[in-house]
Amino acid sequence: MKQLVKTLTKKDFLSFVNNLIKDRSYKVVGVQAKGKRYVFDALSSAQDLRLNYDVTILPPKKYFLPQMETLLKFSLEKPFEEKETLDDTPRIIIGVHPYDIIALQQTDRHYLDQQQDNFYKKHRENTIILGVDIQNVSERSFAASMKTNITDSGFDLLLTDLGTTYAVTIGSEKGNKLLKKYATTKEATNADLKKIKTVREATAKKYKQKIKIDKKDWSALLVANYQHAIWEEHSDVCMECSSCTLVCPTCFCYDVKDNVSLNLTHGTRVRTWDGCMLKDFTKVGSGEVFREDVKERYRHRFFRKGNYLPERYGFVACVGCGRCGIACLPDIADPCNLINELAHFESDKETGRYFIKADTEVSEKGIIHIPRSATIKKITPFNETDSFFEIELDDKKSLGHKPGQFVEISVFGYGEAPFGISSPPGNTPVFEIMVRQVGNVTKKLCLLQPGDKVGVRGPLGNGFDVKSLEGKTLLFTSGGTGMVPMRSLINYVLDPKRRSKFKDVIILYGAKRPKEITFMNDVERWKKIKNVQCELTVDKCEPSECWGGCTGLITTLFPKIKADKLDSKNTIAVVIGPPVMYKFVIKCLQTLGIPDDNIYVSLERRMKCGVAKCGHCQMNGVYVCKEGPVFNYEKLRHLPEAFE
Amino acid sequence: MKQKPRVAVFDFADCEGCELEIADLEEEILDLIEIVDIVSFREVMKEHSDTYDIAIVEGSIMRPMDEKRLRTIRSQAKILIALGACATMGGVNKIRNQWIPDEVKKDVYGTANLKGNELFDVFQTKALNEVVPVDYYIYGCPIDRDEFKSVITAVALGKKPEIPRYPVCVECKKNENICQFELGAFCLGPITRAGCKAICPTHNSVCEGCRGLIKKAEAECVKEVLERYKLSYEDIRRRCTMYNYGRKECGYDE
Repeated sequence: MKQLVKTLTKKDFLSFVNNLIKDRSYKVVGVQAKGKRYVFDALSSAQDLRLNYDVTILPPKKYFLPQMETLLKFSLEKPFEEKETLDDTPRIIIGVHPYDIIALQQTDRHYLDQQQDNFYKKHRENTIILGVDIQNVSERSFAASMKTNITDSGFDLLLTDLGTTYAVTIGSEKGNKLLKKYATTKEATNADLKKIKTVREATAKKYKQKIKIDKKDWSALLVANYQHAIWEEHSDVCMECSSCTLVCPTCFCYDVKDNVSLNLTHGTRVRTWDGCMLKDFTKVGSGEVFREDVKERYRHRFFRKGNYLPERYGFVACVGCGRCGIACLPDIADPCNLINELAHFESDKETGRYFIKADTEVSEKGIIHIPRSATIKKITPFNETDSFFEIELDDKKSLGHKPGQFVEISVFGYGEAPFGISSPPGNTPVFEIMVRQVGNVTKKLCLLQPGDKVGVRGPLGNGFDVKSLEGKTLLFTSGGTGMVPMRSLINYVLDPKRRSKFKDVIILYGAKRPKEITFMNDVERWKKIKNVQCELTVDKCEPSECWGGCTGLITTLFPKIKADKLDSKNTIAVVIGPPVMYKFVIKCLQTLGIPDDNIYVSLERRMKCGVAKCGHCQMNGVYVCKEGPVFNYEKLRHLPEAFE
Repeated sequence: MKQKPRVAVFDFADCEGCELEIADLEEEILDLIEIVDIVSFREVMKEHSDTYDIAIVEGSIMRPMDEKRLRTIRSQAKILIALGACATMGGVNKIRNQWIPDEVKKDVYGTANLKGNELFDVFQTKALNEVVPVDYYIYGCPIDRDEFKSVITAVALGKKPEIPRYPVCVECKKNENICQFELGAFCLGPITRAGCKAICPTHNSVCEGCRGLIKKAEAECVKEVLERYKLSYEDIRRRCTMYNYGRKECGYDE
């Protein structure tokens, strides 16, 4: 499509900008000097603009995903009077380079997917992008090799410096209107159009940093070198400061926390920039860190750019701005250097796929950050740490979940935590979860009383495809709290209305100690049902404890399976338990001859946002909160970070 | 309404600047006393009580008499919070630990007869947790008022306060500062615990590490950066003396 191009003199451009500032219906921001560097900041005069800048310290993402953004305000005195907060004064950003425009288009793919982020959306809709073609190339930039040094979309207006005039390429109707209203322009001549091309070509030649591998080949190069020593060699000198991700225009992960006013009457839930290079990024309530080794985090960042996001969206999530190269003190963050270095090595023939495409049913649309109000109906303590909760949604609608899905439960002022849903689907607004006291949210939950309010988001994630279990023998193996979501599935299957649809059911259930066998009432009931075999074990049992079952790890239960019940090809196995359990149980299942394709697992990571945005639950290219938590083992087994 | 927790503020060897930060909450003090009863706070009030739930203690421990007093405070308080660099890690008071206490005394007080005077009976400086268990830490020289508020509200709500375990660079980058290294300066930000909103680099001076080191000065990455910026191990050792003398990694686990 041919774009409309106008020209205006440099003097007219300055008055155009000053007119915008004077109007006051926009917040006008533009590129300005900060010492020897440049930043986007509120503009008070067109004279302050530095359109010949090389690169800004931070990309313009700070206007769309601010360093800190209030998601909602809540009152601690009147439970459930929370409000979403959105600032909607329109903004004009003057001087955005093409690579930053492309980075925003990439972020759109992530934040404006089915589970749309309404904050990001609002900021995008409210912002007019006035781009500018690059005039001075940053020393570390390699945008020309990434083909991100020019763009023909993603802006409302784009300036090109033609010497005494600016050419303005019109990218949207919004931009056109703005120009008409505030500027005096002329139609661009053919000579002007030619000159734009010449200027762009001349700038492209200025890049000193060049990448040897075309961006479409990054993915294969990285995959071939997943186990390469380079990750360890480089990360040995990593400061673990995440400066590289913070200054990156395509990094968009965030953390969420609740702030409370000093008088404890009200508070805000805010999201702040987070970085996958920080150790606590993958830390869960119980203290476990899933990407503990700096080598793994270092690799993750490059794979995210060159493999995970390309697999998901089809683009390399690096635009060659070179900011990370400038920001990294030991200088190990620059993708240009890393990819060029990898290109030197003889690549292994190893191929792997670190991404799973799953058709996730998206149950919540629109407002994804705001919880629904719910009331605690009943709390039954199982032992000192675990309690069983019945929670009713205040709108009296059914939660509408599938077995295997989870919810995010909020206690305002304390935060939010994910819980597997323990009750089977049903036409009731009441659902059940189990709470193990490990962190601030879970400890507080256990101090609440029936009648107290909590927030609920969900159901979230990918549950079990219950239809595919019909007509099969079912082998359920769960360890510890893995029984929580498993109970939802078992009770669904063993519901007298449906029992006939499934063949024999074998339930293996293990826990560390007898007191941690939490669903004893259910177990007793299941044992009485026809064609159900239910075996229990505990790792350890003190003489003082009352326990009639087996002792030993969960794997000791496998020989007890009545062999005649098991037609391995026609058996579906479901495994849910602590991370350490999977490897051993899956080996037992394989010994029984159950194909990998018939094995389902449910994994736990730090599911913080629950809508595949914040990045904390990622294992390789997979968001556990979106593609999981339920996975088919056949698809998952190639994912190194799944069972490490 | 349930009874408010009783809070007492104490100090040892320090400049009382962190207590002043609390006093400087000004009208927000009214919010603070909505949620806690302040029963002792020498810097701002003359009333005193020995019955308290939460003790907020500033300063480092220099003498046997300090140890004794701190143990008494600990035994009376359900929760003990260390306030500021001197209390959390010894801070500037530990600079003195480079020398033998008796020699320091001689240097400072000359030939004055201090024998038997327990006020001058100094030993090597200690942080609070070298004497008694500490429940929570509010770092900094001085503390950050917002962090103080977040720790107090967390304790009042029964939450575990969240103190950053990442370096100052994170906050510095969010503030869009030019890196001090880029300006030719030597900043301890990359190895110092954040939580101060990178206040020093934001006001164009280097980080001095007052919130404690989260990486050993001997770490590979530090060596690499020193080398790149033509600094020596001696330089970093000297720079760390100000707040982190004798401390290696102040710890991910405090």
